[in-house]
Parts: sequence; C-alpha cells; structure tokens
Amino acid sequence: MPASPRASGPGTNTGNVIRDSMMGLVPETVEAIIKLNSDVWRQSLVSPSLLETLRLRNASTVNCVFCKSVRYDVARADGLTEEKVAMIGDGYEASALAPREKAAITLADAHLGHPPGISGAAAERVTAAFDDAEIASMLVSLIAFNFASRAAVSNGGMPEDPLPVTEISVISAGGAVA
Amino acid sequence: MPSQATSINLDQHLAKAGPAAASFARLWEALWQQDYLPPELLDLCRLTFARMHGDRIEMAVANPLVESTHADASLRQAVLADTALDAPALPSAWRPVLQFAEYYWVDAQSIPDAVADMVKGKMGEAGLVLLIEALGCIDGRIRAARCLRDLATHRSTKEVAHAG
Repeated sequence: MPASPRASGPGTNTGNVIRDSMMGLVPETVEAIIKLNSDVWRQSLVSPSLLETLRLRNASTVNCVFCKSVRYDVARADGLTEEKVAMIGDGYEASALAPREKAAITLADAHLGHPPGISGAAAERVTAAFDDAEIASMLVSLIAFNFASRAAVSNGGMPEDPLPVTEISVISAGGAVA
Repeated sequence: MPSQATSINLDQHLAKAGPAAASFARLWEALWQQDYLPPELLDLCRLTFARMHGDRIEMAVANPLVESTHADASLRQAVLADTALDAPALPSAWRPVLQFAEYYWVDAQSIPDAVADMVKGKMGEAGLVLLIEALGCIDGRIRAARCLRDLATHRSTKEVAHAG
C-alpha cells in the first residue's frame, strides 16, 4: 500500500468529509454518495448503534485504519459504548451482545465473506431476528460501509494502526440533506 | 419481484429498505452515466468479479445499462474464461483497469502502485476514483444478491418443510 494517497481531494474545504475527499473529483457521483450516506444514517430501518456494529465489523474485515477509529455521534447517542465496541471483534459469539446484535454481525460476515453467502443456520438466525425490510436495510448499509472503507484502502496513504478514537457527526459526513 | 437477485436487478429486491435503497439505486445509475470510464469496461469489471466469485447466475446476466456490440460480446466471453488480459481485442488502456479490479477483489490492500499508476495514467485521477467507486458498488451488489438468494432458498426450504 502506498505511503501517500494515489488520488487527492479537489482542494475544497466545504466541511463535508465526502465532498472534500478524493470523491469530490467525480461530480457525477459525489452528491449521490453524500445522499446515500445521509440516508443510511438517518433513514435506515435499524438503530444507529446497530448500524455502527455493522460498520465497525466491516472496518475490521477490510482493515481500514480510518474507519476503525471513527465513531458516529448518532450511534453513541443511541447507546454505543467502547465496551460494546470491544465485543464486536472475533469473540462476539461469547460476548454479552444482544441476540439481535449478534445476528447483525452474522449478516455482516455473510456479506463480507469469501465467498459471500448465508448458510442455513446463519439464515435461520438472521431471519429470526429481523424482518425482510430490516435485512434489506442492513444490506444497503453494509454495501455503503464496505464501499467507503475499500475506497479508502484502495487509495492508500493509511496511517499507522491504531489511530485515536474520533467522534464524527452525521452532518459532516452526510450533509444537512434530510 | 424477480425470482433471482443479481447485481443488475438488486434495487428491486432492496426497495423495501426505503430512502437509502433509493439513494443507492441513484448512485448505481450515475456510475454508468459518466465520461471517465466506458460502461462496457465497467461491465467487464462486473463480469470479472462474477467469475472470481464463481457466481454463475451473475455471470449469465446481461446488463441493460450497457449497449453491447459484437466485439463486446467476445470480450465478455474472454473475461468469463479468464483470458481477457491476453486477448488482442482488449484495448491497451483497459488492461490495467481489469488488473486493478482483480487486485481489488482479492484485497484492496494488495493493489500494486504500478497498476494504480497505469490506471491513473490512462484514465486520469478522476477516472481512478470513479473506478474505485464502481468496483465497490459492483462487488457489494454481487455480495448482497448472493445473500438474498440464500435467504430466499432458506425461506422456501422452510415452507416446504412446514407444508410437509
């Protein structure tokens, strides 16, 4: 992985982390990406803390140093603690996470796996915990999180792992669009 | 509702998720309406991922967002047969893009500087960014479609068991 980013941002300082990133170089897609991120955090059918569980599981799988260090403000407001974050790792099955949280991680691992897919037991667990619309909502979120973290890794310039934990507001990442 | 989810018809399967799914569908459409990378080339990236996933349903599906020519058809077959990188019909500017896609699929951390530099040299910095965005969307859609197909199979198996 290169020490410096392969593509730099557009040189703007709009206050929106997506628009000011390399993605700002492609005006044909950047507004759609901002809107997607906003809708994932504001309009998903599962709670922000559950979304953050999915996002952090993805961040570890992809090994995105930036993504692992970030905590969204809405997830913390929804009850996400660092104690809970520590449970999202490999030992999650034996952790004190709720069954619904464990089922969400099962779905994340199914989506992120090589190969992707859901075995019978995993499917039973996911469908027992979530309805079809919630599963669809989490899949949209997982795609968005994986898209962003793999974009960061592909672009290179990752700092040393770990970075200090940093809170980020949904407004700075998704804009004020409702 | 289409019977088998693929990256191509995924938005219909995800629509029940509401506004986020609609936003994701708009991003998908935008990826095919830009001037940095030809849609035919992006579709070859999709087929590259389908082959690497061993996803025969994805490999068989055509992309209505791409106007195909006879030449494109032979390249698509070459991608599916894993011979495209040696195919004389593959434009030289497209080769590093397909190589980049293969490295991306294996592990985004593994992309060599030389390959990324070639993409940037041929397609420009914005072209490299668009490619990274497109690969993320394509792979995510193939993965989600596979999960939805497995869930549909699980559901129908349960229904048969209950009926029996």
